[in-house]
Amino acid sequence: MKREVKTKANSPAAVLGSQESYRQLVDSVTDYAIIMLDQDGHVVSWNPGAERIQGYTKREIIGKHFERFYTTEDVRRGLPGQDLKNAAKIGRVESEVLRVRKDGTQFWANVILSPLRDQEGTVRGFAKATRDLTELKRAEETARLASTYNRSLIDATLDPLLTIGPDGKLMDVNGATEAVTGRTRQELIGTDFFDYFTEPERARAGYQQIFRDGSVRDYPLELRRSDGQVVSVLFNASVYRDEAGNVIGIVAVARDITERKQAEARIQQQSREIMELSTPVMHVWQGVVVAPLIGSLDSQRTQQFMERLLDRIVETNSPVALMDIMGVPAVDSQTAQHLIETVSAVRLLGAQVVMTGVRPAIAQTLVHLGIDLSGIITRSSLSAGLQVAFDILEMQVVPKDKRL
Amino acid sequence: MPAESISVIKLRGLLLVTVPPDPDDTTVSALQEKVLQAMVQHESRGLVLDISTVQTLDSFFARTVVETVQMVGLMGGRTVLAGMRANVAVTVTQLGLSIGNALTALDVDRAIELLDAEASKELRL
Amino acid sequence: MNDLPPGEFPIGSENDIVSARRIIRNAATALGFGLTDVTRIVTAASELTRNIYVHAKSGIMRWRSVHRGSGVGLELTFADNGPGIPDVAKALQVGYTTGTGLGMGLPGSKRLTDEMTIQSEVGRGTTIVVRKWLPT
Ligand SMILES: Nc1ncnc2c1ncn2[C@@H]1O[C@H](COP(=O)(O)OP(=O)(O)OP(=O)(O)O)[C@@H](O)[C@H]1O
Ligand SMILES: [Mg+2]
Repeated sequence: MKREVKTKANSPAAVLGSQESYRQLVDSVTDYAIIMLDQDGHVVSWNPGAERIQGYTKREIIGKHFERFYTTEDVRRGLPGQDLKNAAKIGRVESEVLRVRKDGTQFWANVILSPLRDQEGTVRGFAKATRDLTELKRAEETARLASTYNRSLIDATLDPLLTIGPDGKLMDVNGATEAVTGRTRQELIGTDFFDYFTEPERARAGYQQIFRDGSVRDYPLELRRSDGQVVSVLFNASVYRDEAGNVIGIVAVARDITERKQAEARIQQQSREIMELSTPVMHVWQGVVVAPLIGSLDSQRTQQFMERLLDRIVETNSPVALMDIMGVPAVDSQTAQHLIETVSAVRLLGAQVVMTGVRPAIAQTLVHLGIDLSGIITRSSLSAGLQVAFDILEMQVVPKDKRL
Repeated sequence: MPAESISVIKLRGLLLVTVPPDPDDTTVSALQEKVLQAMVQHESRGLVLDISTVQTLDSFFARTVVETVQMVGLMGGRTVLAGMRANVAVTVTQLGLSIGNALTALDVDRAIELLDAEASKELRL
Repeated sequence: MNDLPPGEFPIGSENDIVSARRIIRNAATALGFGLTDVTRIVTAASELTRNIYVHAKSGIMRWRSVHRGSGVGLELTFADNGPGIPDVAKALQVGYTTGTGLGMGLPGSKRLTDEMTIQSEVGRGTTIVVRKWLPT
């Protein structure tokens, strides 16, 4: 051992000065296990770094074979001997391998094994520097995990997520964006963001707004899929900056609201159906239809009611229509106007309206609004109205009887 | 639709005129002319205008009808508009047109009944 | 609901009013309007083409489909190089007429459609645009 160190003293290591100062240097290194082995692999020197990393004290380990640092598997495969042979042959072997500590735990290590030769070039032993990579690995793993995490987070986001460069070109997209556009990532990246919308100008305006205000919320756009289908989306987006604070792009999340819109349309459809249900026009007698109006009447509803009533009168060939407004909570001038229009339209068909269920409150409003219902037959109750209906019908039937 | 193709049928002292589905202004004017001549010729007491096939009733048409009703009235007859379609009635109302004091009926049968009833009412007076 | 190819039709004779009605009936039906709305649109077209024929002698009618979000509508343009309307607000009043009419055409057409814009310059002509949206 001493001889070898002496040999070493003749080598470039001698630049470091005396053997003493060399040992001091080696001893001060705690991040590396720096040890020496004899030709066969027995430990001949041991530094504090080695003790810290591998767990053995100097006294314990000197003279022991270095194969105990290998995993049983590696020992079985004969790696310790091979490493020495390779080091002797090649001059230096560096590897990242699993090593075993005294307590049996394994750690990831960077190991450099170099042969120590005498002046004749004969290998007298080996120098071995081992660095514990556990921390590094952990950091790397964390970083790797973090990036896979980010990526998978981006991909796991059910909503389309995309980043756009200052030039308006798509920089990155996630799986949901691929799904919603019907285009692959490769197809999308680098293309013009605006081109995928039914209204590119609106998309551009939104994009400019993000730059101006820093972000947009619930910006509605319509995406055109590759198959031509149109998808309604709401965009939430904001700028992102580099460390110097310069805007380097936009991150945008789109929410596909097609389903929501469809649901809204369904609800609208349903409410239309309910509305129709709530204004049934019943054919109660040969020549008489009854239309009970229930609930408040807006323009749209009265309009639809008018069309339905007229259709039914023609369908059933009924000269009398009873329009019962008992269930109408209030009548404003607008509604009254619609009702009068309905009465006029029914007259054009050749039928008559009898308005029934005119409650005192409604009668008051109508008078106060100055609405002239004088040309319209009104009755307070539906049954009184029915009586009028029969009278009207009889008036037309009587002459026939006379002819008989 | 040439004006000549408008048929005026005399029926139990009444005139029955069928208006074509989509008449141009000339036809509408010619119709008025023809009706008035027939009124004189047959000494009719009433006129039934069958508009059940008419798809569009605009202000010109309405004006002609209102005039005709007035003229027929001056000649002692009553006019019934028969069979106006529901969608036409909605449109006419919304457009703000009026048909003056013409009577209306759901179809030609009822129009004739109505004119008969009017006649017997007058007799009773 | 089908989309509609745009088109135009010159108005120069009384008979063109009938043709215009037929064209617009087909266009509105093709776009998916129900019978009552078709009747409303056709009636407005009849009024506005007649106004061209009566008040300006000749002009042109154009039609096209228009879009608003997911909504679809029919847009009709009636343009002429006639005398123009000196007071548009007055012309829109029920009963106002400079001719022998009832003064119902313009105000009635406005009620029958969803949107109406009138641009007119005395001595230059009149352009009237109406729109009707398909019920959602
Ligand atoms: N294209 C037009 N060019 C010039 N003036 C017009 C034009 N259209 C309408 N006007 C003017 O506006 C007025 C009102 O038009 P509107 O259609 O309401 O009534 P009208 O044509 O006179 O009668 P109606 O349409 O009821 O038969 C017209 O009398 C006319 O003075
Ligand atoms: Mg007019």
